[in-house]
Amino acid sequence: MEQAITLARGPLFALAFGIMVLGLARLVLLQVYELAVGKGRRLQNAPWRKIMGETITWALPFKHFIKGTLLFSSASFAMHIGLILVPLFLADHVAMWERQFGVNLPSMGRGMADVLTLLTLFCLLVLLGFRFLSWRHRAVSTPTDYWLLVALIVPFASGFLATHPGLNPFRWEVVMLVHLLSANLLLVLVPFTKLAHVVLFAFDRISEIHWQLRPGAGDRVANALFGSEAKV
Amino acid sequence: MSAEPVPAAAADATTAPARRYSFHVEEPCEGDRVAKFLEAFAAVLEYTDYKALLDSYCTTSAKCNRCAVTCPVFQVTNDPRDIPCYRTNILLEVYKRYFTIGGWVSSRFKSHFELTDEVIDEFAEVLYRCTACRRCTQECPMGVDHGLMTRLGRYVLSLIGVVPKALQVSVREQLEGETHNTSKVPQKAMLHTLDFLSEEMEDILGVKMDFPVDEPDRDFAFFCAVSDYLMEPDTLMGNAAVLYAAGDWDRWTIGTDNFDGINYGLFYSDWHLENIIKRLLGEVDRLNAGKILIGECGHASRSAHQFVPVFGDRERYPVLNFMEYTYDCLLKGKIELDPSIITERVTYHDPCNIARSGWIVEQPREILRAFVPNFVDMSHAGRRNYCCGGGGGLVSVDEIHDFRMEIGGRVKAEQMRETGAEIVVAPCANCKKQLKELVEHYKLPCKVMGLHDLILKAIVIPGGKSPAERKQEAELYA
Ligand code: SF4
Ligand code: SF4
Repeated sequence: MEQAITLARGPLFALAFGIMVLGLARLVLLQVYELAVGKGRRLQNAPWRKIMGETITWALPFKHFIKGTLLFSSASFAMHIGLILVPLFLADHVAMWERQFGVNLPSMGRGMADVLTLLTLFCLLVLLGFRFLSWRHRAVSTPTDYWLLVALIVPFASGFLATHPGLNPFRWEVVMLVHLLSANLLLVLVPFTKLAHVVLFAFDRISEIHWQLRPGAGDRVANALFGSEAKV
Repeated sequence: MSAEPVPAAAADATTAPARRYSFHVEEPCEGDRVAKFLEAFAAVLEYTDYKALLDSYCTTSAKCNRCAVTCPVFQVTNDPRDIPCYRTNILLEVYKRYFTIGGWVSSRFKSHFELTDEVIDEFAEVLYRCTACRRCTQECPMGVDHGLMTRLGRYVLSLIGVVPKALQVSVREQLEGETHNTSKVPQKAMLHTLDFLSEEMEDILGVKMDFPVDEPDRDFAFFCAVSDYLMEPDTLMGNAAVLYAAGDWDRWTIGTDNFDGINYGLFYSDWHLENIIKRLLGEVDRLNAGKILIGECGHASRSAHQFVPVFGDRERYPVLNFMEYTYDCLLKGKIELDPSIITERVTYHDPCNIARSGWIVEQPREILRAFVPNFVDMSHAGRRNYCCGGGGGLVSVDEIHDFRMEIGGRVKAEQMRETGAEIVVAPCANCKKQLKELVEHYKLPCKVMGLHDLILKAIVIPGGKSPAERKQEAELYA
């Protein structure tokens, strides 16, 4: 068990982290490439200020809490706080970043981490509840939308139990192993699921650029399908 | 709120086998439609650059349902197929399954999704229940642009012949017909109308102004929706009155070869969109005009404003909407509007195509406030306003009138009623048609008109009759 934990904490973590970084880098490079090469000169026409402004307001989406989505939106916003802060700044994680990569991050107090973890867990459960109970959410959900929530709940729940022996009914080593493995799995999932919005978020509000259609494309499509004498 | 959805394709098929959709198509696509659809989609993906966008949407869509809450169609129907994300997802599923490695791999294990005739039918139906107003896009945390996706879906379908006949026939006449305009108005008839309007204006305003036609080297080449020549002459006369009063009568011209600003390509086809823009630029070149001045028409303005820089040259062909021009004249003191003429309560409808992006929101309001003492905004005014219910070309499709009234435009009708306005200003040919039908359908106590129809009443014409005099005469005739 000890060995498994060491393995999950060391090489497996490095591997998962590497996959995540490479996967995300690939996504970013593809987007940048498509824009720079695909759109090229047409990028000049894009309303850059508007795009930047909107990207920022969505990072802190207070003006987007609209009637009819209040609970869901609040839950998903609040969920992100712990999701971002705890993995980075929990004291044990800070030690890990230091050990693995030699980076030195400030650490947050245990109490704070607990509050954020519980908040995130609560929000994740609310979101899962919506998936199951609201027909509108069911109508657009795919299996991934359900199990991804579970994949987020497991590392947080197990992490919480591992740090609170009094509340933990299981063997500490087992819980820790579950925590490490599920966290590693989550890292691997990031570039391949909607979690990829950690980086793609920056490219979310660029549809105005995509309205800059490619000149001549319409004719070429028609030509390929109907020949050069294509008629309306 | 609830309403019967328009008959779905399936329900329709039992009564009228020739009609698969709520709208008429010219020739129903026969044979292996799935293969044809995929072939068309493949060609589109090969030559355009939608791929990056589709890849990104496939990955990030949060499935949070916020878009549903904002959509006026879903608000009325509560029908899952009207959830914007649901509809866009059909396109994304096709893309993932047939054009990505991941889709191919997963199809080896268990088939997630197969494109079938039924899926194509449902897709076609739901695509033309969306007005492409892009209201939902503003509230999508992932920025999924359903307007763009709706139009891409429609584009692919149009390549297999699934497109409302009303739109296709109009585009054909514009691009391949003799008249070069969507309403098939012969050049002669247009010139005749201008003569008639000229006399009419002399009657009303007391000054003679002959419309400038095919004048070379002018500052503005003017294009309005062709319907302004036929059904909305007051808008056109209002435009002319501003040009005259501002002392710019010698600065503009109408071209006879192409006088229609309409571009239905914006709603369903990259191919037509580009070719119609090129037509327009051809006319500007022929006239050697400096700028493109578009009349009161939301989609014509957006097509030119957004796509002239893409398919033409931004520096060579600046594009101006007529309200921008009028606002500029007002700011510079080139025109005067009499604030004592319009006593009614007036509200303003924001056409999606000019307001959603924030392009034209304040200008018309500033103009209205300058001469309408009793101006009120409607709820959600500005960038977040609701669509009239006839956007995305739907207003031109007569056979879905019931849908437009009971579903697409229901929220709008409610908004108009709430304001208590007697006049609803809608500076767009499409919106005006839809709103007038709504007024009739819901028996609303108001009139719908263009901004320049109202300006025509209140503008001070140098050397002509005063607005008060004109008002008196109009009341006398009435
Ligand atoms: S574009 Fe408009 S009509 Fe279409 S789904 Fe979005 S809000 Fe609804
Ligand atoms: S708002 Fe955006 S992410 Fe949410 S369901 Fe709609 S399209 Fe999907």
